[in-house]
This record gives sequence, C-alpha cells and structure tokens, in this order.
Amino acid sequence: MKAEISWLDDPQTFRINQLPAHSDHRGYATVAEAAAQQSSLVQSLDGTWEFAFAKDPQHRPVGFYEPDYDRSDFDRLAVPGHIELAGYGQIQYINTAYPWEGKHYRRPAYSMGADRPEKGMFSTDPENTVGAYVKHFTLNSELEDQRVSIEFDGVEQAMYLWLNGHFVGYAEDSFSRAEFDMTPYLQDGDNVLAVEVFKHSTAAFLEDQDMFRFSGIFRSVRLVAKPALHVEDMTIQSGVDDAFTTGDFKLNLKLSAADQLTGSVHVSLMDDSGQPLWTAEAAASAELDLATTVNHVHLWNHHDPYLYQLQIELRDATGKLVEVVPYQVGFRRIELKDKIMQLNGQRLVINGVNRHEWDAHRGRAVTAADMAHDMQVFHDNHINAVRTCHYPDQDAWYHLCDRNGIYMMAENNLETHGTWQKMGAVEPSYNVPGSLPQWQLAVLDRAKSNYEMFKNHPAVLFWSLGNESYAGDDIAAMDKFYHDADSTRLTHYEGVCRNRVYADRISDMESMMYDPPRAIEDYLQNDPDKPFVNCEYMHDMGNSIGGMNSYIDLIDKYPMYQGGFIWDYIDQALWTQDEVTGQPVLRYGGDFDDRHSDYEFSGDGLLFADRTPKPALQEVDYYYGQHD
Amino acid sequence: MANTTKLNVIYGDVTLGLSGPGFHYIFAYDRGGLESLVRYGKEWLYRTPKPAFWRATTDNDRGNGFSTTSATWLGADMFSTCTQIDVAVDGQATPLPIAPENNKYSDHETAETVAITFTYTTPTVPATTVTVEYVVDATGKMTVNTHYNGAVGLPELPVLGLRFVMPTTATGFDYQGLSGETYPDRLAGGKPGTYHVDGLPVTPYMVPQECGMHMGNDWVKVTRATTQNNADPDHQPFSLTFQQNGHPFAFSCLPYTPEELENATHIEELPLARRTVLTVYGATRGVGGIDSWGADVEPQYHVAGDIDHDFSFAIAGVE
Repeated sequence: MKAEISWLDDPQTFRINQLPAHSDHRGYATVAEAAAQQSSLVQSLDGTWEFAFAKDPQHRPVGFYEPDYDRSDFDRLAVPGHIELAGYGQIQYINTAYPWEGKHYRRPAYSMGADRPEKGMFSTDPENTVGAYVKHFTLNSELEDQRVSIEFDGVEQAMYLWLNGHFVGYAEDSFSRAEFDMTPYLQDGDNVLAVEVFKHSTAAFLEDQDMFRFSGIFRSVRLVAKPALHVEDMTIQSGVDDAFTTGDFKLNLKLSAADQLTGSVHVSLMDDSGQPLWTAEAAASAELDLATTVNHVHLWNHHDPYLYQLQIELRDATGKLVEVVPYQVGFRRIELKDKIMQLNGQRLVINGVNRHEWDAHRGRAVTAADMAHDMQVFHDNHINAVRTCHYPDQDAWYHLCDRNGIYMMAENNLETHGTWQKMGAVEPSYNVPGSLPQWQLAVLDRAKSNYEMFKNHPAVLFWSLGNESYAGDDIAAMDKFYHDADSTRLTHYEGVCRNRVYADRISDMESMMYDPPRAIEDYLQNDPDKPFVNCEYMHDMGNSIGGMNSYIDLIDKYPMYQGGFIWDYIDQALWTQDEVTGQPVLRYGGDFDDRHSDYEFSGDGLLFADRTPKPALQEVDYYYGQHD
Repeated sequence: MANTTKLNVIYGDVTLGLSGPGFHYIFAYDRGGLESLVRYGKEWLYRTPKPAFWRATTDNDRGNGFSTTSATWLGADMFSTCTQIDVAVDGQATPLPIAPENNKYSDHETAETVAITFTYTTPTVPATTVTVEYVVDATGKMTVNTHYNGAVGLPELPVLGLRFVMPTTATGFDYQGLSGETYPDRLAGGKPGTYHVDGLPVTPYMVPQECGMHMGNDWVKVTRATTQNNADPDHQPFSLTFQQNGHPFAFSCLPYTPEELENATHIEELPLARRTVLTVYGATRGVGGIDSWGADVEPQYHVAGDIDHDFSFAIAGVE
C-alpha cells in the first residue's frame, strides 16, 4: 500500500488502515496502575518533534519519512500544538464562507454532478500548507513483545503516517481519535515515526466551523500496548427501571488476543466507596455479554453525579493478570415521554453553554488546567449543560462532565455552513453532504467515531449530528445510525429547520438558534410535535446578554420549552505581541492580514479570551440559578 | 470676611461665581456651562459638563444598524451648543447679570439659593433643546435638573445624560447600587450593595464599545489624588459625591469619552488615560442579545427621541 496524495481530493477516502473506532476505556497492567491512572502500557509521544513546513504540496519534502532521509535542516516543533501558532502559516479566522473565499472558485466534489469529482482541488492547492513531522522513539520495555497501536487524538486536517519508512495509514476528521496498528513495523532500538499533515482536503468542506482555521498535530499522541488478552471495545448500558429504583446494568465486551483467545474475565461493580456490589467471572471469548441489576440504585444527575466503579480484569490461561480496565458508571435514564425530554422521570431544564475548546495562547490545544477552570466556572454559575460545538472535544472533558454532573450534547465534527448559506440567504445549490452518496460515508464515519468513543459516558444525553449543514438524506442517515446504535439517548440537529421535509427523520427535539422569544412562543402555542431547545441563544458578542428573562420566563410557561445553550463560552482571540508597544495584546479575526474574514465575530464568549469573566456572567449566574 | 450662612454671589462680566465655606463654583456665560467646581481648592472640572447622547457602538448595535439610524446623536453629543442662559436668585428670575446690568452689584452680594439654567440646542434635524438647571444652596449642594424636549422625527436615543470630564484620572470610585456592569435589560444579576472600584477599569470587550454602566444607584463617590494645579503639590485623596434626588440614577465612570471608545478597534488603540469621564444618565438603551446581526433590543428598553425626558441628581454639599 502506497500513500496517494489524490486521497486529499476524494471525499470517499477518509480512512486508510485505521483501526475501528471504539470506547475510550484505558487498559492498565496492574490494579495499582489503574488506581493511580498511570498505565505502563502507554508511552506518550508528546514533546518535541522534528518538523519541516511547506507552503504547498508541490514544495513538500517528498520521502521525508525514509529513515535515511536527510532531515538535518528540519526545525523543532512542540506536539501537541498548532502549526500556525508556531509561526509557520498565516493565522485566519473566518465564520461562514470557506477559507479560500476570494482566492479560489470551488465546488465540493460531486456537488455539481456525479461527473464532477473536482480532481486535484487540494492536492494541487497553492495554499494547502503541509507539515512534515518526525519523531524518533525507542519502545518502552513495558510495551515490548506485545501488539502496539498508536493513537492520534487530534490532527488537523488530513494525515499520512509512516513508521520506519513503511506507509501505515491515512486519516481525516480532525477532532476524532485516529488509531493505527504499529506492530508489523516496530523494531528494536530507534524507530522513525513520520506524519505528513495537510491543512486542506475534502474534509475542509465538512469542517467550516466558526473558528480560527488551524492545522497540525494539536492533540496528544501515544503508543498503546495490547496485552496478551485485551479489551478492544466495551459498551456499557446503565439504565434504570420505570420505578427509578433499580439499576439495569448491561456490559458488552469485545476481547482480542495476541494469539489464541484463552484466559478469564473477572468483572466487578462497586459503589463509589469501593464496596463490591456484583462480581462475575467468565471464560475469555471474542465477545461477552454480562448483566446485572442494582437495587436501590443511586441515580446520576447534575446535583448528585453519583458514579459506580466498574473494574474488568483479564487473566491469561495461566491465571496471570494481564490487563485491568476501570470505568465509571452512572445510572440514569434520558427519554422523550409525552413530548418532553425527561431525565430520571423528571422534565429536564437545560441551563447550558456552547463551548469551543479555546486557549488564548494555545488555540484549540487546551490544557487540563483550562478544562478544570471551565468546570469551576460552570459550577459557580449554575451551568448544568454543555454542547461540544461543533466537534468532539478532548476525552478528558467527557470524564470531567461525568464527575461533575454536566449534561452533554455530544456533537460530532460537522459543519458545512458556506455550502448552503450565502449573504444570509438559504441557498443550498451545492450543499454537502446533502443527499450526495459520495459524502454520506464520510459523515457517517464522523458520527460513528463520536458514538464509539463517548458511548459509555453517563454525562452524554444527546448525540448531535453537527451544525449548520442544511439537511438531506446523508444527515438523516446519521440520525438513523445513532438511533440504531444507541436506543438509550436522543438525537439533536438544528439544521433540519431549513428543510423540514426531513423533520420526521432528523432530531428528536425541535432545535433553533437565535430564535426570538416570541417566535419560540408561537411554536409552543401551536400544537408542537417536539420539545423545544435553543441550541444557540443569547449571542454574547461584546456588551450583550440583555433581555435574558424573556427566554427564562418560557421555562415556567411551557413544559415543552427545555432551555438551551448560550452562544458561547469563551472569546476566540489570541495573545500576540503589539507591533507598536511590544506588549502582549489579544487579537482577533482580520488582525493577521487574513482576508476574507469575519473579524470580531470570533469573540462571543461569557468569558474573555484570557478566561476572565465578562460582566454579563453575573446575569447568567442569576437566571440559571433560578432553575437549577 | 465672607459670611458663612449664605451664598456669596460674584456677578462677573462673563461668569457667575458662587462660593461658601469649602466650595467655589464658576458658571461661564461665554463657555455656556459650569466651568469650575472647586472643593477645598481642588478643581473637579476639565471642561463644562454637557448633555450626553451617544454611546460607543456595541456589537449588537452594529448588527441591527442602531448606530446608523441614530447617528445624528453622535453629532449632537459632540456639537450641541449653549443657546440660552437663565439666572434666578432666591427664586427670582433676573435678566442675565452681565455689563452694564451688573454694575449695580458689589463684592459682597449674597443669596440663599441661586439657579442657573443652560439651554443646549442640538444640531439634529429637527433640532431640539436640552435644559440643564443647576440649583446651588449655601452648603454648596448643587441640584442638577435636566430636561430633554422630545421632537417628532428624532430617532431613538442611545443614552440621555450629563457628562462630567475631570482634569485627572480618579484613583477609584465607590457607589451604592448593583454589582458589576448593569444595563436596563441586564441588571437582574446585579446584587444590591456598596461597592468600591479601583481605578477606572474599561471592560476589555474585544472591540472597545459602550461599557461600565451602573444602574440604580443612590450615590457614587469619585476619588482623585492628583490635580493639574502647578501650585498644588498635595497628593492627599479628595472626593466628590453625586447622589440621587428622588430616583436612583445610572452612571458610568471611565477614562474615555464614547467618541474615544468608538474610534478604537482594539483596546491597545485607546489613548493613555488622562481624564475621568463621569456620566450621570437619565435614560439608557438596553444592550440586547438575541443576536448580533439584526435583532433589536426589546421595545421596553428603547429611549424614544420624540418624547420628553427628565432626570435629576445632586452633587452633595460640603460636609
């Protein structure tokens, strides 16, 4: 298999040799490691990498991945991090139009006809910057003699991977984890890992979110060893009976083995103090289904995010412990009953916010400290829900939401705004994915990555199909995928309001953005079919959040009004040095000579870009506090 | 020796002086306003206070075109002129006491109270007028009554207030009102109390814009420690208190005028802070928030240009 640059131009090629998406569980070699959350089976590759930047594909260092390639003139670059913030590519912020607006006339492949594949669009794109990354590593002893895979948590926007000169695979979907099997190409001693990252590909049409347009390995990279017996995937269903007193626990395990699949599986479920409630033993097999019930179950919700401890222990045929997989379990039920979304049998009121991952120094390469700070801001201001606008976030965020009882609208990585809205008008003539078969598999893959990765988090109540991408068969297929895969959650998608013939096939809730309170009342007063949620409201751009009570008053007037997500959590602005005073200043769209731009529209947060609160935050604290 | 129970009145040729223990005010006919407000030798005014109509465009204003439809108020904020001055001593109106009318007076004139009213005419089409009446008593307490004359055809007002620009930046201010920055349609989260604010913070919105509004106040006390008086080496803090007169008032206390904020696209473009700009508002438009590309502020938070508005406050007398 050889890497083909033409894959960049083909919407139907988005994953080559990638391992299937699976649960975000982590394997540990020992119980002690699991308790300390430090797995010796994991070797981080974060840190300094060799790096070479090319302004377009034609000037990229072809063959740089060969072990004997002369990389003496390569620079050094920190991973994770954005290429543009290291000074290698122009920073650009743009909202609705595509980043090449005014520079290239482009139509998505096949959007103008099945005979229009638009070959060469990105493989010969003069603005398609390329980052050549190389990392030398020696496998930790704890990972030796086992199957080893590599995990890329986030690479924007298309990546080719080599190890020791061997082509391994290709991936898109900047915000989902990409995993590849390293085992066949690993060698003793020094290994040469090479990643070629392109800023643009056909994925660019699917990633037109209202944000700065970056590229690079912007999330962590790690090697993961799979012991002789390994939990490849696991699916937890932790529902509740109709009386909300008995927990209904179902566990599906998929195991893999280095060679034959023999040994035993020991599963235990404990309360949050570690008291065992249930244990089960089973012989290892490719797939196992275990179940139990928990009496007087302690339900999970915002105010009492009670988590049980699940622990899976795998032993090989000799009885030796080879892998420990812990996971936190929350028992709760989210359902649509009598046209009202109910959590544990009670009407849900969403006091939410849309949160882009953002750090004014690091862009979207947010840190654990950023996430902890954000969770504290949620706590202090009665925010009980977050929408991961408009892509999957770093995995740690979902665990934080589990522990802090934050309801999640988990959105997959999709926005194609510029393909259907132009000059404010709805004009979907070349909308993707639309009903185009050539784009359906790519968007379904993004839904699958989102579902598989986060399916075991009690915090996730809703799967969101993406943002501002109009509506057609392809998004209807995503809705169907989520419902087929997961009967325990609801789906969300606002864009169906633009093409309501799909209303019965897309989104369990009626979702609007920036609807005036009066328009919401009109909907709610005219025999509505679905409960109403603002997926985006109270646009906090500059000095704003006036008139919030007109939305909040709806909560008590209309049971089918179930709150919403303020737009948005934090201003997108970047620390740069003022060219006049040399002082650090916060700059936004257009400030980097980037054109076409939407300038200050990058800043709509409840917090300023440096995470200090805007004055309006006290208003949110007050009103959300009334219905908390 | 000036008496201590009545106002000393100085019937000047181009000014009217009023003084008493610890205070001395000068109303300038040629400048068309209150030119000097001195307490214990400290000057509080850089230029004469004047009616305030403009607010630096917010992102929501830009989105719904409010600044465009109400742009005339920017001109009025900068170029309204004083077109009439009326003086009343102890409640008796008197012709403008300038020469030769004032030749009958001496250096020992007194009064219980003196009221002087400045009429400002706006360069809007149609024009309208705002009257600002200063009523001073023997304690130096100055009651300020402002009246706006609505006129059919005038667009909605961003704000209606009276703007005081002070010679130097304040060290801070204290007020009794609501916490944080509040607006008519965004004050529910403001907790009542007495607050101290260090310096003159400008809310660092990504694009500088209207900010720093405080709704529903009983009083605000501005404190400074520097002057421009070359002969005054003293750096002891000195304060001036603005207090409500019947109704709580709104104010902002910033280092910049709306025009300076309007002109900047980034915080770092704002000039070095030199002045204190204290504006007391009788009416202010809401900030809105439904969206930033067309949605209007809710109707009840608009300030109509075609109806009359009145507001009053007082500058506390000398303790």
